[in-house]
Amino acid sequence: MIKSNSEKREKIDWLFKQLFKFTGFATIALLGGIFLMLIYNSISFFANVSPIDFFTGSQWDPGSATSKYSIIPLLASTGLVAIGSMLIAVPLGIFTAAFLSELAPKKLQTFLKPVIEMLAAIPSVAIGFLGIVLVGPGIAKIFGIENGLNALNGSVLLAVMALPTIITISEDAINAVPKSHREASFALGANKWETMFQVTLPAALPGLIAAVLLGLGRALGETMTVLMATGNASVLPEGFLDSIRTITATIAIEMGEVPYQTTHYYALFAIAAVLFMITLLINFLGEYFANRLRKFHA
Amino acid sequence: MKWCFAGLLLLFVSCSNDEKSIKIKGSDTEVNLAVVVAESFHIHKPEISVSISGGGSGLGIASLLNGTADIANSSRRIKEEEMQLFQKKGIRIDSFVFAQDAIAFVISDELPIDSISIQHLSAILKGSYRNWKALTGIDKPINIYGRQSNSGTYDFVKEILGIEFTPYAKQMNGNAQILEAIKADHSGIGYVGSGYVTKDSGNGLKVLSIYSDNHPHAVSPLNREMIAAGKYYFQRPLFQYYKSSSFLKIKPFLDFEKTKEGQLIIQSSGYYPIL
Repeated sequence: MIKSNSEKREKIDWLFKQLFKFTGFATIALLGGIFLMLIYNSISFFANVSPIDFFTGSQWDPGSATSKYSIIPLLASTGLVAIGSMLIAVPLGIFTAAFLSELAPKKLQTFLKPVIEMLAAIPSVAIGFLGIVLVGPGIAKIFGIENGLNALNGSVLLAVMALPTIITISEDAINAVPKSHREASFALGANKWETMFQVTLPAALPGLIAAVLLGLGRALGETMTVLMATGNASVLPEGFLDSIRTITATIAIEMGEVPYQTTHYYALFAIAAVLFMITLLINFLGEYFANRLRKFHA
Repeated sequence: MKWCFAGLLLLFVSCSNDEKSIKIKGSDTEVNLAVVVAESFHIHKPEISVSISGGGSGLGIASLLNGTADIANSSRRIKEEEMQLFQKKGIRIDSFVFAQDAIAFVISDELPIDSISIQHLSAILKGSYRNWKALTGIDKPINIYGRQSNSGTYDFVKEILGIEFTPYAKQMNGNAQILEAIKADHSGIGYVGSGYVTKDSGNGLKVLSIYSDNHPHAVSPLNREMIAAGKYYFQRPLFQYYKSSSFLKIKPFLDFEKTKEGQLIIQSSGYYPIL
């Protein structure tokens, strides 16, 4: 009786081990599969268009008679709107996190945290809509321009979307700084602010960098919001008040009507591959810094 | 077992229904109009059910080819490649033009022009003119609000003018968003389906009349008679393609579209009936 029971347990153990192993590998296989598919289709593209044109030209206009496939305006747009969003979201996010973990009373903290996390639950379409009816016209009024569908609009909206990621991870990083650091600082006569800016935040730095990078990854990959709010003019932007068209928006707009197995179709995979590599790199960096924080405190 | 019978029964019922149901697929431009027409059609002929879905002209024609639709709505003429596919399968198709659509060019009513020539319009959309000064005397940059490149309207304007749009043209999500943008932007110009401006005239918007060398009289897209006479430059027929073999099945619906009531619905939806 006892023996059969333990046998049964071992069997179940084994079964679950295999199951979890399978799910783990399935995720990796999925990632690998997507990567290979992007690369495979990109190769078909580069068989028709030289990579030099792709990375040096200045126009993306596949529909025209003289099809022009240059990723530069799209890449510049994506970069501009993502950097803009980080300029807004990073100070806001890190200071909010510092406030939450260092200064806020317990009651406020337990209220604020779920509210901030709820921000992540707003669908991107809704945020894009806000960009059209609220933020865009507001920007147009403030800067005295005719239309607010530009990179700045996209940056503000993406900042809102990246905030929950940045705040949650930053707060964890700041909380993970051992209490003894702060106590030592206080004992040396430093006040609350000196302790925060010169001891706690620097100690949490790897975690803060990870938070920013993961937030940046979120901003780079966002599609619907930028598609709705940035005007989608595929020219090289000259500033934050120009209309832009990101890589994600280009794929979303053009994939629906592109004839299959044509250069244009492969071109969309090629720009997707470039975006994928950028976000992959940023996520790797983010993970690297997050791990450093863990080791540092272990 | 019990459920098997129920399933079979459902199958039979749906099969028998097939004879009395008309499936329409295709153009997103036409889908709203087709739904309104079908609703009043259903009141007259409740025994025939009509189902309508969008997805684009190309999808509609593909569905007609593989038999999942009885009528394909198309805001463009069928392409040569598509015609060959039908011939390869030995399917004969016919077309019916049930309404006409006109594309209106809209600007803010603060700009002092009421009409524009085809040449000037092409120059603006190509990006050769980037300032209103030459046309209106007002020194303001021209902001173009167009549709996204997957829109049939975008293709239509591009092809009929024989131009490539300037990359500076903004690409908006839909007709309504273009109108909203031009209301706010006094230097904007955009194009929308005429159905959207009849409902929206006033409000700081102005619909441009169009003239060309062949038609020196400027014609407004809101002028019914001129569109019926085919005198407006940016007008296009809205097609319905169907298999010749299933003509009898769909005839009641096409007949209804030709009635006075059907034509009235088309008119009140902002399109132009075929006289």
